Amino acid sequence: MSALLDIDRVGMTYVSGTLLARRVVRAVDDLSLRLEAGRPEIVAIIGESGSGKTTLARMILNLATPTDGVIRFRGTDVAKIRSNHARADFMRQVQPIFQNPFEAFNPLKRVDRYLFMSARRLADARGAEVDALADRALHQVGLSLAELRGRFPHELSGGQLQRAAIARALISAPKLIVADEPVSMVDASLRMSIVNLFRSLRDELHVSIVYITHDLATAYYISDRVLIMQRGRAVESGAAREVLANPQHPYSRLLKASVLSPEDAGKPTIAANT
Amino acid sequence: MQAYAIYALKRLAQFVLVVFIGINLAYLISHATPIDPVEQTVSAATSFGNASPEAILMMRASLRELYGLEGGAVSQYAAFWRRVLVGDFGPSLSAFPTPVSTLIGRALPWTVGLLSVSTCLAFALGNLLGGLAGYFRESRILKLAGIAAMAVHPIPYYIVAFVLLIVFGYLWPVLPISGGYRINTPWGWNAEFVLSVVTHAILPVASLVLVGVGGWFMGMRSLVSNIVSEDYVVYAELAGVSRGRILGAYVMRNALAPQVTGLAMSLGSIFNGAIITEQVFGYPGIGTLLIQAVHAGDYSLVIGIASVSIVAVSVAVLIIDLLYPLLDPRVKVA
Repeated sequence: MSALLDIDRVGMTYVSGTLLARRVVRAVDDLSLRLEAGRPEIVAIIGESGSGKTTLARMILNLATPTDGVIRFRGTDVAKIRSNHARADFMRQVQPIFQNPFEAFNPLKRVDRYLFMSARRLADARGAEVDALADRALHQVGLSLAELRGRFPHELSGGQLQRAAIARALISAPKLIVADEPVSMVDASLRMSIVNLFRSLRDELHVSIVYITHDLATAYYISDRVLIMQRGRAVESGAAREVLANPQHPYSRLLKASVLSPEDAGKPTIAANT
Repeated sequence: MQAYAIYALKRLAQFVLVVFIGINLAYLISHATPIDPVEQTVSAATSFGNASPEAILMMRASLRELYGLEGGAVSQYAAFWRRVLVGDFGPSLSAFPTPVSTLIGRALPWTVGLLSVSTCLAFALGNLLGGLAGYFRESRILKLAGIAAMAVHPIPYYIVAFVLLIVFGYLWPVLPISGGYRINTPWGWNAEFVLSVVTHAILPVASLVLVGVGGWFMGMRSLVSNIVSEDYVVYAELAGVSRGRILGAYVMRNALAPQVTGLAMSLGSIFNGAIITEQVFGYPGIGTLLIQAVHAGDYSLVIGIASVSIVAVSVAVLIIDLLYPLLDPRVKVA
C-alpha cells in the first residue's frame, strides 16, 4: 500500500541568538510516522507545550523545512513545494485547521469570501457552483451559507468560526487535514461536536486527520492511533486504545495519571494535603 | 447606512462642542494675560520725550476706544462671539489697522502646506518602512533603517533642526536656511517662485519628517510582527498568495487601523511643532505670527490664531474619524 503521508526520521533544530550567545533548540528529533493512502484514520499527536507537536504540524504543512529527514506527501517531498502553483496544488489535498478560531480569518474580510475563494481557487468552481460548494461544506459542519453570508469574523462566535474554518478546509475535498489543537480554544459544550465532526469526516468523507492535542480524553475518544511526544521525540506510539489503556513509557503514564476523572471531583488536592 | 449617519451626526456634534470649548478657553486665557497692549503702545510712544500726564491719559482713552476694549466683560464676550461666527476677529492690535483675518490668511497657507506635506510624508514613509521591516525581518537594510529610526526618534526636535541647518546651510550650503521663498521673487504660479518655495521648504519638512518617521516606523513594525504570525496570514502563505499581496492586503491593511488612530491623536499637537519649526527656519507661518502676537500682547491675533488652529485640527480629526469605520468593520458605528 502506498503512503499518504510519510514522515521519515525528521528532525528540526532552531538556532537563536547571536554568535556569542547561541541557543540551540532541538524541537523535533528523529521522528517517523506513516499514514497509508486508502485507509483514512485519525492519528493523534499528544504532548505538552514545547514538546514539538506544533513544529511537526508546521513541517507537514511546509511552513517550516526540516533540518534533517524528509516528509513526503504521496511520494513528493513537501519541502520541495515552492511555486505558487505547486502550493495551491498541495493545498487542495492538505488543509490546516488552527487552534485559535478568532485568528483563522482576516478580521477585515467577510468569512464567506474565504469559502468562495477556496471554492474558486482550490475546487475550480465557477458561477453558481461556488455558492453551492460553500453551502454544502457549511452544512457538513452544521452551518449554512444563509447564516454566514456577509458576516465579518467579529460577528460570529468562536464555535461558529471554528466550524467555518473546518468547512473551508473541506471545500477542496482534501485527503489530509492537519488540525493543531482545534478544540483547545472552543468551549467545552462545542468541543464534543467538533470532535464528532472529525470522526464523521473520516468515516464519510474518507479524510485522514493528524490531530494534534494535549488533551488525552478527546484523543482517546476519536483517534485510531496515537503518538506521544516528549521534548521532540516520539516516546510511544501505537493503536490508541492499547497505548492509552496500558501506557509503557513513564511519560505516557504520567500523562494518563494527570487526567482528572469525574471520580476525583471533590477529593482533596495534593496541595491541600501537605 | 443609517447607523453610519447617526455616527457621523454624533461625531459632528462632538466637533462643534470641542471647537466651542477650545475657542472659549483661548478667549479666557488671552484675556488673563498681564500684558496690556494699550499700555505697551503708550509706553512706546512716551519713551521718546516728556509727555504730560494729561496727554498720556488722553492717549490711553483714545487707544481703548480704537481697540474696542470699551464696555464690560459680558458685552466684550458677546461682541467677540458675534464676530467669530462671521470669521472676523477684529483688527490686529499690534499691526493696526490690518484685520486679524488678513494676517492669518497670509500665514496659514505656509503652515498648512508645511505640516500637511511633512505629516503625510512621515506617516507614509514610516508605515511603509516599518511594515517592510516587520515582514522581512531578516533584511539587513531594513534592520539598519530600524536602528537609524530608533536613534533619531528620541533626539529633541530642535537639535535635529539645528543640525540640519548647520550641515545644509553652513558646512555644505546648498539649501536656503531661512524664509519661505526667495526675497524679491515675484509671487505667482511661475517656475521660479514655485522652485524657491520648494527649496525653502526642504529643510523644515526634512526636520519634521526625520523626527516623525521613527514613531510610525516602530509602531508599524511591532504591529506587523504580531500580525505575521496570525493564522490567517499563515493560511494565505499556505495557499500560495504572493508575498506582496500578503504584505499589502493582509498584514499592513490590518495594522493600518490603529496607526490611523495614532495619526488622529498626533494631529492634536501638530501646531506646537510648527511654532518651533517656524522659529528655527524663519518660516513665515502661523507659529511665527503667534510668537509675535504674544510678545506684543496682541490678543485679538492670539485668539484668532488659536481659534483657527482649533478648527483646523478638529476638522482633520473629524475627517479621520468619519473615514475610520470604512477602514475597520469592527468599529461600532451606531
